[in-house]
Amino acid sequence: MARVIQQLLLVLLGGVVLRTALTDAHLAYVQPGFRPLLVGAGAVLLALAAAGLLGTRRHADDGHHHDGHHHDGHHHDGHHHDVAPSTWLLVLPVAVLLLVAPPALGAFTAERQAQPIAVPAGARSSAALLGPDDEGADHRTLTLLEYGIHALAPGSPALTGRSVRLQGFALPRDGGGWYVARIRIGCCAADAVPIAVVLSGAPEDLEEGEWVEVVGGWAPPRENAGGGYPEPVIAARSVQRIEPPANPYEG
Amino acid sequence: MPPVVRDDVPAGGVDQAVKPSRVQASDVLLVLLLVAIGLYFLAPGWFGFPALQAWSTVFVAICLQALPFLVLGVLVSAAVTALVPPSFFERLLPRSPVAAVPAAGAAGAVLPGCECASVPVAGSLVRRGVAPAAALAFLLSAPAINPVVVVATVVAFPGEPMMAVGRFVASLVVAVVMGWLWAVFGRPEWIRLRQRAGAHPEAGRARLFVGTAQHDFTHAGGFLVLGALAAATLNVVVPRPWLDALAENPAVAVLVLAVLAVVLAICSEADAFVAASLTSFSLTARLVFLVVGPVVDVKLIALQAGTFGPRFALRFAPVTFLVAVATALLVAWVLL
Repeated sequence: MARVIQQLLLVLLGGVVLRTALTDAHLAYVQPGFRPLLVGAGAVLLALAAAGLLGTRRHADDGHHHDGHHHDGHHHDGHHHDVAPSTWLLVLPVAVLLLVAPPALGAFTAERQAQPIAVPAGARSSAALLGPDDEGADHRTLTLLEYGIHALAPGSPALTGRSVRLQGFALPRDGGGWYVARIRIGCCAADAVPIAVVLSGAPEDLEEGEWVEVVGGWAPPRENAGGGYPEPVIAARSVQRIEPPANPYEG
Repeated sequence: MPPVVRDDVPAGGVDQAVKPSRVQASDVLLVLLLVAIGLYFLAPGWFGFPALQAWSTVFVAICLQALPFLVLGVLVSAAVTALVPPSFFERLLPRSPVAAVPAAGAAGAVLPGCECASVPVAGSLVRRGVAPAAALAFLLSAPAINPVVVVATVVAFPGEPMMAVGRFVASLVVAVVMGWLWAVFGRPEWIRLRQRAGAHPEAGRARLFVGTAQHDFTHAGGFLVLGALAAATLNVVVPRPWLDALAENPAVAVLVLAVLAVVLAICSEADAFVAASLTSFSLTARLVFLVVGPVVDVKLIALQAGTFGPRFALRFAPVTFLVAVATALLVAWVLL
């Protein structure tokens, strides 16, 4: 009985992980590159459960229980004594995924964890590093971090006279106005680092968390009201509302 | 005959203390789940609360990113148990623990993964008769010095090649020092490996493999979830601006990042990127963060408690923390 519960827990977990990995849902939690690993892990869990269930059935009438705490010398009286309490915790991630289905990190995290953009030591902005405009367009698409580094780093002002396209969600700025912001992750959502670019010329009716595409040019950095560090600024020529992208994170 | 399969360890106080709570643990969980399901239908607004959503996202993210590595570790550990004869390790490792510890520590470089993979592997090494001191050196070094982690560190600190070197050296030294400390002061009764379901030699290799893998996964997996609960809570509760204010004093900065490495429980393959982003902290403090994280964090302590027993984890984790901080400071002083 206890072993069957254990197998069913594995089926549940493996199935939910596999579903999360095969749909776009995993993009809210981990890097896109994690997908094959998650598919593999889910498949292995299902295979282990299947092999375990077959084994349990085949040996069911042995009269010999291959139960977990066989050697402990404790008296067996049937059910779930053989499933360790920690095993039950495996239900929690499954329950959270199914009940809360938590969305990707957004404005809440960006506000709480706001920090200066890390310009690598020795980074210089130059037209050569920025690269040409997108094919068939009069602007270049950059990630918020790329734009932030070009906008803040010393060197020849690569952004002068250029047009760039940024995508991110709207985030209210202390003291009025808006940022266009995005979360960077290195591995999963636990190592989230928000990047925010001040949106100069934002429409009045933006809403927090709304996704926008901004086309505009460089403007001088401004000082963060609370932290005193410089923040990159984009002078927007057009701000369009867009559907949230499949992968909400940068990085 | 493998000497370290611990049938001889008495099922002492710990196990009996846990026993009455076994039924309760699942009952409490069941009640909590029912409450959550009730809320889901009666007050759906609660699930939209931003802090709860961010917490849930981070919790699920930690579970998901650790899962493939835990599965890998469990498969390797099951293969060690089912397929590798104990004599293999006796021939491979030097007989004296003093010599076996550095060898096992250096062997950590070949297991690509994060800390979740190394705990079950180290557990099965002990079961296969490897001296615990050597297995523990492997446990500590594997998540910190494997190629994936070294490359990630190089990439995260483009202008600072010494960060990757310092991390490699300091982590290996920590692993070896802890192995030797265990060889001198450790007592076998502090380690209490759980008996495995289906681990009967007569059952055949396939069944032994499946039984070992399932048993290790369900135990370690539960403790991984426990660690993820703690890490997600601290991740969402500790305000980052506080940390930046603390970064100004060099001694406080080291201490803060050391503690942060423990409570954030970031995967060792990603922690370099986080360290790189903590620009207000000194390089020394960030090296401490990179050396402490893979050897002690809340998720790892929970996993160790699940695999080796709480009496082990309570002693091992604090000492490892002190050794890791001291070693990282020393290496930073020499290299950075």
